Amino acid sequence: MAAPLDVSAAQTGVPPEAAAQGMGGRKIEGRSLGQIAWMRLKRDKVAIGSAIFVIFLILVAIFGPFLVQNPDIYHANLINSTLQSPNGAFGGISLAHPFGVEPGTGRDVLARVVIGARISLIIAFLATALAVIIGVFFGLIAGYFGGWIDTLIARTMDVFLAFPLLVFAIALVGVIPTTSFGLSGNTLRVTILIFIIGFFSWPYMGRIIRGQVLSLREREFVDAARSLGARGPYILIRELLPNLVGPILVYSTLLIPTNILFEAALSYLGVGIIPPTPSWGEMLSNAVSTGFYYIDPMYMIIPGLAIFLTVMAFNLFGDGLRDALDPKSR
Amino acid sequence: MISRTKMYGLGALAAAGALTLAACGGSSSPGSSNSSSSASYNEGLTAVVNPSTTASNGTLTFDLSNTPDSTDPQNTYYAFMWDFVRLYTMQLMTYKSCPGACGTQLVPDLATAPGTVSDNGLVWTYHIKPNVKFENGQTVTSEDIKYGVERTYAKSVLPNGPTYYQVLLQDPTYPGPYVDRAKNVMGLTSVTTPNSTTIQFHLQHPFSDFNYVVAISQSTPVQPSWDTGQYGGANYQLHPESTGPYKFQSYTLNKTLTLVKNPYWNAATDPEAKQLVNKIVVNMNVNQSQIDNNVVSGYADIDMGGVGVQTAAVRDKILTNPTYHANADDALSGFLRFAYLNEKVIPNVHCREAIEYAANKTTIQDAWGGPVVGGAIASTVMPPTVNGYQSFDLYNALSQPSGDIAAAKTQLKLCGKPSGFTTGLAYRTDRPQEVAAAQALQASLATVGIKAQLDGYLSGKYYTDFAGVPAYVHSHDLGIDMGGWGADWPDGYGFLDELSNGNTIAPAGNTNISEINDPSINSLFSTAANDTNAAARLAIWPQIDKKIMAQAAILPMVYQKVLLYRNPVVTNVYVDSYYGMYNYAVLGLKK
Repeated sequence: MAAPLDVSAAQTGVPPEAAAQGMGGRKIEGRSLGQIAWMRLKRDKVAIGSAIFVIFLILVAIFGPFLVQNPDIYHANLINSTLQSPNGAFGGISLAHPFGVEPGTGRDVLARVVIGARISLIIAFLATALAVIIGVFFGLIAGYFGGWIDTLIARTMDVFLAFPLLVFAIALVGVIPTTSFGLSGNTLRVTILIFIIGFFSWPYMGRIIRGQVLSLREREFVDAARSLGARGPYILIRELLPNLVGPILVYSTLLIPTNILFEAALSYLGVGIIPPTPSWGEMLSNAVSTGFYYIDPMYMIIPGLAIFLTVMAFNLFGDGLRDALDPKSR
Repeated sequence: MISRTKMYGLGALAAAGALTLAACGGSSSPGSSNSSSSASYNEGLTAVVNPSTTASNGTLTFDLSNTPDSTDPQNTYYAFMWDFVRLYTMQLMTYKSCPGACGTQLVPDLATAPGTVSDNGLVWTYHIKPNVKFENGQTVTSEDIKYGVERTYAKSVLPNGPTYYQVLLQDPTYPGPYVDRAKNVMGLTSVTTPNSTTIQFHLQHPFSDFNYVVAISQSTPVQPSWDTGQYGGANYQLHPESTGPYKFQSYTLNKTLTLVKNPYWNAATDPEAKQLVNKIVVNMNVNQSQIDNNVVSGYADIDMGGVGVQTAAVRDKILTNPTYHANADDALSGFLRFAYLNEKVIPNVHCREAIEYAANKTTIQDAWGGPVVGGAIASTVMPPTVNGYQSFDLYNALSQPSGDIAAAKTQLKLCGKPSGFTTGLAYRTDRPQEVAAAQALQASLATVGIKAQLDGYLSGKYYTDFAGVPAYVHSHDLGIDMGGWGADWPDGYGFLDELSNGNTIAPAGNTNISEINDPSINSLFSTAANDTNAAARLAIWPQIDKKIMAQAAILPMVYQKVLLYRNPVVTNVYVDSYYGMYNYAVLGLKK
């Protein structure tokens, strides 16, 4: 199991591969676990590739919307008025519209995908952050204190895991008025989505953290801290939490794609973002509900591909990160 | 009271269309799609396609994507059922079986002539044909029609049908025959039967459109002796007693219905229906994309729902392949797609006029599906299939379909808001085309500075809890509310009353969402209700239509169109302009 990251390699014993690295004629020096993990990660081409893609995606989400054309401009002239499908092959792909145009409206698909990336990523990141905060907090408490506190929190997590989440989300979005909590429109909707998704994904994180804490709290360094007079909060924050950075990072990167898919599912069901603001799920849902995917498959393939690539990149990166931080947990 | 449930059907079908494309199959008759046919595109709109009087031994197959609300003529509110019940029932009045505009004419069916009204306008009298037989050979009497009307009062047993008799006739608290039966059969005092061929309806107020009311399937005769036991009450739908050309042979509820010839039917007494095939089979709950494929490939004859081809791939095939194209009709459904402009939320008429001018009718039409499957750009409230329709174009919807921006800006100045204003736009999230139309409207209004904030609701509660509740509309600033409307009968009263009569504004379930309460419009409605002169009434409807448009209370979008497909082996096919679908009562088959 992982040891504190700030403990030097010498204390924990140098792993053989790190030692082998150091023997290339240079002076042998101690490396921290963080450095070792980074070295392992660097050698994982797939993880690095995924990381580059994720960074690219984040840049697109931040700067893309300023570079693309207005996503709400209708181009009736690019649409076949009888069939409603885009003129030209592959969904009307052209220089002006590299990803083609939307059937029925002629809106630029590239612009909508790019702006959709921003919405999808904001929701996925913030919802994940919320889930991580709640999950780590309750996981730490449950694992460290044990007893009835553990029972209560663990059972609560079980209830949340067993909850018919989608049904609840649909109902909640349906009953919350269009103006509430001082917010309205899409700001409110995004907030609600973040809250719902985050609030229902924390038990996954909570369970993992609880399991880690259960084993960590029996370790010598915790006993040592306790015998030196450290109290609960100190041990939790200064001794246990640093040891959990690895799993938290890994499971966050794995939670993000799940949340992207969940946002897509909610938008697909019509309780996501309010149109005309695009999101990937909304674009997919639109392609299916209007039946346009029969005659213009590109309209479905493009947002579908965006979701697929993003989810895959996050997953591969998360896997690589896990392997690098904790090679034994394969 | 007037809302054709066809619109519910549309919502359901859009969902069904999203399902997978299924191969042809199911229990269906082997039809042949490649038989040579001289039919042409849209021929069924104006003429009978494959006219024929020869009887066939074949089986006519209908496919239906959902189920009827009921096959009981007193208990149905679905447009396709009102069309279909004429295969096994007759009413006092009915619509003439003929293509084109003539299909909205009323003609006597069981009655010998249209009803005559007393001088005070309160008593309508019908004489019925003396020699019409039920499927058991017994003669139809006026008491049987009265019993049918009584059944419509039994809402706890038969909840689905319209409530015109309760609203219009005296004795509105009559509990229905199932409660009443123990005491006294035929207890409804407001319908009298002086003799076995005469029936009289006693109204609370004069209502000159009463002939249309008795053309609804609820005036079907029912023998009290049939409405007991195995086929009594709610189970009457399993075998309604036939007076039409066909009778029920078997009905597995909500699955398969088989009709066979009714031997007691006489063509001479029922000229509006025909008995040309041996058997009629209805397959229910068939996946819509399967229906579309079945009809095009000849495995089924008619899509009974009548909402047109929904599957994009099949639609594409029909529109691009000349063989299939010739067998399609692009029919007006009688439905208007529009937006209510609420007069309380946007009180200044010039602001509403700015919306009328600024709306880009072309992109909105595309959002509804384009000129073929969406509809024709509308400039009036009444669609062309309604008696009393007059074409006019107050806001240049037809001459400048992409929006008259200059005029819109002028109106905004007159309204005192030259830079535009902000208002809510209510729509139904579970209707993809309505979502698209709301966005198209929003985008076009933005070009003149009118900011419409989209506010989506689920269609199930749209009228009961949100857009149909004036207090909610006011508090949420919903100045624009999407809507759809079809009439229970094709004249101005049927179409306009619930949309624009000030008396119809209700605290919930409101259909006059614009909250039009104009004394001049209200008085035109009461004049029309009292005037028994059909021609005079016909002149009133366009006046009301123009008044609604002049105060910009409704933004018409499209007269809805449906792309119907007729299997080339079917004879006597044409679009009945009242139902907006094929006339099911007269269909035959080639050998």
